[in-house]
Amino acid sequence: MNVTLPDICTAEHVAEFWRTRLPEVTRLTHEDAMLLDADRVTTCDGAGEALIVELYRCSARQGFAITCQDGQRIVARTLSLFQIERFTDDLEAANPQRNTNTSVQLGMATLRIWKDICEQMAFLGELTVSALALLIRPGRLRLRDTMLHFERAGIDALPITLLIGFLLGLILAFMSATSFRQFGVEVYVADLIAIGLFRELGPLITAIILAGRSGSAFAAEIGTMKVNEEIDALVTLGLPPVVFLALPRVIAATLVMPILSIFAIIAGLIGGVVVITSIGVPATTYWQHVINATTLSNILLGLLKSGVFGLLVGMVGCSHGMQTGRTADAVGRAATAAVVGSLILITIFDGIFAVLFYLLEI
Amino acid sequence: MSEETVISVENVDAGYDNSAVLKDVSFTVRRGEVFAILGGSGCGKSTLLKHMVGLTPPLKGEIRLMGDRIFGGSDEEREHALRHFGVTYQSGALFGSMTLLENVCLPLESFTDLPREARTLVAEMKLELVGLKDYADCFPSDISGGMKKRAAIARAMALDPALLFLDEPSAGLDPVTSAGLDRLILRMRDTKGVTVVMVTHELPSIFSVADRCIMLNKATPSLIAEGTPVGLRDHSTDAIVHAFFNREEN
Repeated sequence: MNVTLPDICTAEHVAEFWRTRLPEVTRLTHEDAMLLDADRVTTCDGAGEALIVELYRCSARQGFAITCQDGQRIVARTLSLFQIERFTDDLEAANPQRNTNTSVQLGMATLRIWKDICEQMAFLGELTVSALALLIRPGRLRLRDTMLHFERAGIDALPITLLIGFLLGLILAFMSATSFRQFGVEVYVADLIAIGLFRELGPLITAIILAGRSGSAFAAEIGTMKVNEEIDALVTLGLPPVVFLALPRVIAATLVMPILSIFAIIAGLIGGVVVITSIGVPATTYWQHVINATTLSNILLGLLKSGVFGLLVGMVGCSHGMQTGRTADAVGRAATAAVVGSLILITIFDGIFAVLFYLLEI
Repeated sequence: MSEETVISVENVDAGYDNSAVLKDVSFTVRRGEVFAILGGSGCGKSTLLKHMVGLTPPLKGEIRLMGDRIFGGSDEEREHALRHFGVTYQSGALFGSMTLLENVCLPLESFTDLPREARTLVAEMKLELVGLKDYADCFPSDISGGMKKRAAIARAMALDPALLFLDEPSAGLDPVTSAGLDRLILRMRDTKGVTVVMVTHELPSIFSVADRCIMLNKATPSLIAEGTPVGLRDHSTDAIVHAFFNREEN
């Protein structure tokens, strides 16, 4: 078989050769021979060199001989730079790290989840110990950082919380009014909105906003600090990263959540009154029903849930930030994991609260 | 090395936001030479490099790579100029979510029509050239700083550029790794005929690889010397150049 290399052996000229002629070469056996004509090659780049290596790789693998006409010494130079035996294996075969076996991948995924759970528990323990130590020495809390995170997670989140709370009240009122009208009890829409927002939807929607805005930000901030070795610097300075970075954020998230929830609930009630007056119920009647339905236990339960949700969001965000890898994409993964983890925990705890309140009849 | 000029910098004011850190800089780089841009911290070396590789336009003046204007010409001219060179950055700037092989394959995927197996082989060969073929499937986070810089050179060389710009290639490396990197730069020049422009202030690197160099000064602020490293060290009468090469305070 005669193979003549193109005059200009560069990527754009070699691509076609690779597709059309190389399959013929791969069919050669040890009984065949190849005459490689490289006499006319004037320019050869990395792709041309790869083609030469590939031809000799085929020769080594299939056992056929190559006679080379190499007036420009292009082939000789390439073979002096690259030892063919270094390229005789396929990359996949040479690489034991890429294991595509399903059972192995499943096992590795399980181990990863278990490791994640262990790390979360360790972080929770460390956070609890640090918080208890803070009770003895409150001066160790970085108050300025705590206030800064309080502002970022709370005051900066107020517009979006008010908007979503208002729309939630509006939607809730519209949906319930349609059904209640059939029974002539539209006025009880106010009771539904008040109880629904105080006990359930207010804390829940605020927690979702907090997880999306601040939980991810906590993870990304701390994760970036880890990538930049700032956390290592804290450790070597003798400053525990949990006290320095996590506690201010967790405390801020825990304290800000009930306040944001109250704003979301008030906005939701205003959204409800807009709908209820539009269907002919007087605003005073609406507010009277809201006041009657809003018992102290409803308010306290809502605030308790909000505080717990805030604690969860802060903890999960900081924990994923602390566990970030050392690359830029690890920071992105940590932020995503923080939001997903927060939402899962919020839902689980919301379910626990529902069962608990039902059993306690409150 | 030929006398053919591959880079010409003419009367360039380098800086950002109308604030010049260097004024009226002019020099040329010849084909096949290793050219070093020297100077103390903050003198504008990296700023000048950013103008040369087309990241930010100079405040004034003209830069031509292989005859093409990188700023001030047509889009075609700029695109043509951009295809001539590869760049490595101080940190290596490898993509963390990709293996070394995938990092090197990326420009081949984007700018060539080669089939997958050809691209993989080209990338493996580039990694072999920098001594990292056995680490092809490692992620950047798994390898050392020196290996990252070598991998970055392999990626910059993926499309066989005629010019290679290196921003502080030896910074932060131990002397042995740094010397290995210097040998790699010379090997690239000798085997692939690449013209290398490097920004550095590492004296051992300058003396072992640079054919010619220019020296920038923050106080002037301009180009204050041009020549061979040994020539500047032994014959320059400029106090700043003398202090730089003899590691003295001035």
